[in-house]
Amino acid sequence: MDAGIDLGSRNVKIAFLSKTGQLDLHKFDTVAFYRKYGRLENGQLVVNFADLGWGDLTRSVVSTGYGQQTINVQGVKNTKSVSEIKAHVTGAVHLTGLNDFTLLDLGGQDSKVAKIRAARMVDFETNDRCAASTGRYLENMIAVLDITMAELSSHYDQPVELSSTCAIFGETELIGKLVAGHPVAALAAGVNYTIFKRIKPLLLKLASPVIVFTGGVAQNQALKQIISKELNIEVIVPEYPQYVGAIGCAVIANKSK
Amino acid sequence: MQEKVGITTTIPVEVIYAAKMVPVDLNNLFIKDDHPQALVEEAELKGYPRNICTWIKGIYAAVLKNKDINTLIAVTQGDCSNTHALMETLQLAGVRVIPFGYPFDRDYDLLKLQIEKLMAALGVTWQQVDETKKRLDLVRQQVWQLDQLTWQQDRITGWDNHLYQISCSDFNGDPEKFGQAVAACLAKALDRPQINTELRLGYIGVPPIMDDLYDYLEERGARVVYNETQRQFTMPFNTSDLVEQYRLYSYPYGIFYRLLDIKKQIALRQLDGIIHYAQSFCYRQIEDLIIRQQLNLPLLTLEGDKPNKLDARTRMRLDAFLDMLR
Repeated sequence: MDAGIDLGSRNVKIAFLSKTGQLDLHKFDTVAFYRKYGRLENGQLVVNFADLGWGDLTRSVVSTGYGQQTINVQGVKNTKSVSEIKAHVTGAVHLTGLNDFTLLDLGGQDSKVAKIRAARMVDFETNDRCAASTGRYLENMIAVLDITMAELSSHYDQPVELSSTCAIFGETELIGKLVAGHPVAALAAGVNYTIFKRIKPLLLKLASPVIVFTGGVAQNQALKQIISKELNIEVIVPEYPQYVGAIGCAVIANKSK
Repeated sequence: MQEKVGITTTIPVEVIYAAKMVPVDLNNLFIKDDHPQALVEEAELKGYPRNICTWIKGIYAAVLKNKDINTLIAVTQGDCSNTHALMETLQLAGVRVIPFGYPFDRDYDLLKLQIEKLMAALGVTWQQVDETKKRLDLVRQQVWQLDQLTWQQDRITGWDNHLYQISCSDFNGDPEKFGQAVAACLAKALDRPQINTELRLGYIGVPPIMDDLYDYLEERGARVVYNETQRQFTMPFNTSDLVEQYRLYSYPYGIFYRLLDIKKQIALRQLDGIIHYAQSFCYRQIEDLIIRQQLNLPLLTLEGDKPNKLDARTRMRLDAFLDMLR
């Protein structure tokens, strides 16, 4: 088997790809994962695959994630790191079978948009040093509204106007609207719309007739609806949106022989 | 000891050397400090806002720290307006400030007037200035050769290309000694094998606040063979007229004039991609949209804030850019 690891800011995702193309997916909380299986050696993060009980089963591992340059996977002979965008593009192409699309990846702390032509990335944008419009922002907002992520993800009608996507200032603004008496459904829709407003310029700049939406935030059905409706465009969310980077890594590991 | 004169960016440095004074590029003074970030924090403690260019804050604190710099030539037109407040806050601290303005429309007579005002302030004649230009041009020609060896013969690293060219703003305070260092670098370069990298990059915009960018790229098979602003600091123009030299110099003038130079060098140097660097909070970030429309090759916009190492996010973006170019 070949494995791909995506060391995200909130979750570590691991994907195994068998010879027959079967996927086996695992998810860990990032902080817990590092505490249990990671350690720092000479400034490098070392993850021991043998400790996870997968050392013998695994032929090769490809990893990606924040600061991927410093990750070293031990316990497996063949290991390497690839950039996050490359991992996500490869995963999206593998899962959708599409060659021309715009990739939108909204993760725990960052967002990426890439234009894909003939299965290759030709241009990309990322957010810069700010967690606005990411999963972290949504987590903060549901805490303020005291609702679940599933509930938030069901509202897109009659959004309340919110101006800030800042994960911190957004809270203050939302509390103000809550006090003003807006219904939770409209507030939830407003939160989803702020994410759309933030990524809209990037999606227009790197436009394609189809958007492949990945990352943990892609589980938000309302946001999918909003993007599709506002841009009049087809939005495809692959079956395991949060695992696309890990799956991309596993595909690269599989091909690297 | 010769008097030191601080400069906020490249100015007609011939005038300072003609006056037997020593120019100090304050950007270099700040970034070469043992703890550049501590200087930034010091400026913030004094009241400089957080959302202001780090270069300005670093320069401010560097001048306060280096007590031997009591005169400052500040570029009031042709660089950013933050310099105005930098001047004023340093004036408040007792530093003598001499303003210098590059005319926005590159008008010859206005530029000549500015240079003559500077000459009057430092008490030098045209004859002294012209002689100094000849002296500096000898060193500049060596650095031009270093740049040629970078892109024509692949013998100079991106970092050395950056470092020796950027140093031409003040020649490290001693042109002849600096010339010897350049000669040594040239001799070494001709002695070693060519540097073969898969990708050739151009770097445009102000010099980076992080010093590990060039090595990071080279370790990943991409070498910078064109440094826009740094090259401009070497006055690569072959003119004996000092005013014309600083009129041809592109950095202080508008983006469209700069783009003429950039496009020419892109074609000459056969680049695979361009990195456009802009400092956080800088007005030049707006010009990125013009650059993107005008240049027809892959472009990565990099934003830098604090000194002086690449952060994880920037490294990720560089990796993705190189992936894309391959």
